[in-house]
Amino acid sequence: MKPNMPLVTLLSGAALGVGVLITSMLWSSGTASASGYGATSPASATTAATPPPASSAAGGASGAAPATTSATAPATTPGTVPATAPGTVPATAPGTAPATAPGTVPTATASVPKADIPPKADYVARTDSGGAAVAISVHAGKAVAYMCNGHAVAAWLRGTAKAGKLELTGKNGARLDVSYRTGKATGFIMADGTKYTFSAPLVHRGSSGHRPPGLYEATATVHGVKIKAGWVVLPGGSQVGSVEYFADADVAPTAQAPVLDLTTGTAQYDGVTLVASLISGFTGSGF
Amino acid sequence: MTAQPDASPPAPVDVSLGIGKLIVPSLIGGLVALTLGVYGRLHHPTGVVVSIAGFTSAGYVKSWLATAATVFAIVQVASALVMYGKIPRVSAPSWTGSLHQWSGRIAFLLAVPVAVNCLYGLGFQTYSTRVLLHSLFGCAFFGAFSVKMLILPKRGLPGWTLPLAGAVVFTMLIGVWFTSAFWFFSTYGLHR
Repeated sequence: MKPNMPLVTLLSGAALGVGVLITSMLWSSGTASASGYGATSPASATTAATPPPASSAAGGASGAAPATTSATAPATTPGTVPATAPGTVPATAPGTAPATAPGTVPTATASVPKADIPPKADYVARTDSGGAAVAISVHAGKAVAYMCNGHAVAAWLRGTAKAGKLELTGKNGARLDVSYRTGKATGFIMADGTKYTFSAPLVHRGSSGHRPPGLYEATATVHGVKIKAGWVVLPGGSQVGSVEYFADADVAPTAQAPVLDLTTGTAQYDGVTLVASLISGFTGSGF
Repeated sequence: MTAQPDASPPAPVDVSLGIGKLIVPSLIGGLVALTLGVYGRLHHPTGVVVSIAGFTSAGYVKSWLATAATVFAIVQVASALVMYGKIPRVSAPSWTGSLHQWSGRIAFLLAVPVAVNCLYGLGFQTYSTRVLLHSLFGCAFFGAFSVKMLILPKRGLPGWTLPLAGAVVFTMLIGVWFTSAFWFFSTYGLHR
């Protein structure tokens, strides 16, 4: 009997699909933990974000070595990391405990005491959806923000900080609308036609020996192409980074950034060493 | 056969039987489309995709693969038109059938990795009309393709079923391509 070729075609396609899927999973867990979503940090577990439970592979203990964090192996979660217990904030996590974040109301700005609005601040968080991360740095009335999804979306935004409100703009209609307080910054960012909401806790310095959480950037010319990389490093060491090619172009093609080594502050990209610099509102570097 | 007038023997029965043969493939195809959509919706998009050497970003990989698949799909329509004798003054060469089969297989196999990358890396998204349409077209394409493959070996189907199924598959693919690769190229340019 003649084989049922259409069925064979269908099944081959299905097999190919499964193969590619498995490859993608292995690939993302092996080399690209930076933008895997599994490495939910303690910080996002304490905010209003909705991380999947038991996905704290990189939550603290393994934060020093991003290359080895596994985005797909919740079974390897270190038993000591209380990432899924919102009530217990590890020492390295930003002060999002109720004591330091007194019921921040995003919209009602009239009654906000001035002491609640920090003149210098850094915030980082994963977005509530879309697998992206955002970093915001505020320094002396100015603000820089970056968001990316470790893939095709990246946006740099700049603007002024005034009365606890940030209204920043970037290329291609990117825009950020945020209320920031001493505890956290909440709001949304529009990039690539998508609205990403987030609630980002204040970044605290202090993890010695490593680059602190925050916003990192690096520019370089690789094979004659000017690239600009940005990383959002989250508390706990997980990170999301994107690279823009032809960084000066209005619409720059964007891809995944190489993993930023948090001990050296560098990343290897196509044979070129990218040296990342921290953009910090707290210290004023990068402003 | 009981109530059939003698004058028109089994034709209507055949047709209804033939249409009956479409039920199971259609259900399976619907299930395929639904499964893809539900997976894309429930699975948290990772943003991670395998990059291929020579391409600057996953967007280009996917756009070029999708474009190649679309080109083969156009070959599909052309060869089908020739086989059905719809092109005046062109009689189908003996290899038209093979051309049709192989262009279809290649188009399908090119589309699969793109779809996996989309569903795994980005998911079923609805944040703009283009993206919503793309998600719907993408899922529908694989459902429609499954239906076509499943009804292909069946005999006794009404004559319009295969052309209709092929047309639906082709339309879905063009929809997919137009809402993704065409948009991508017109936004970012053809290379880099």
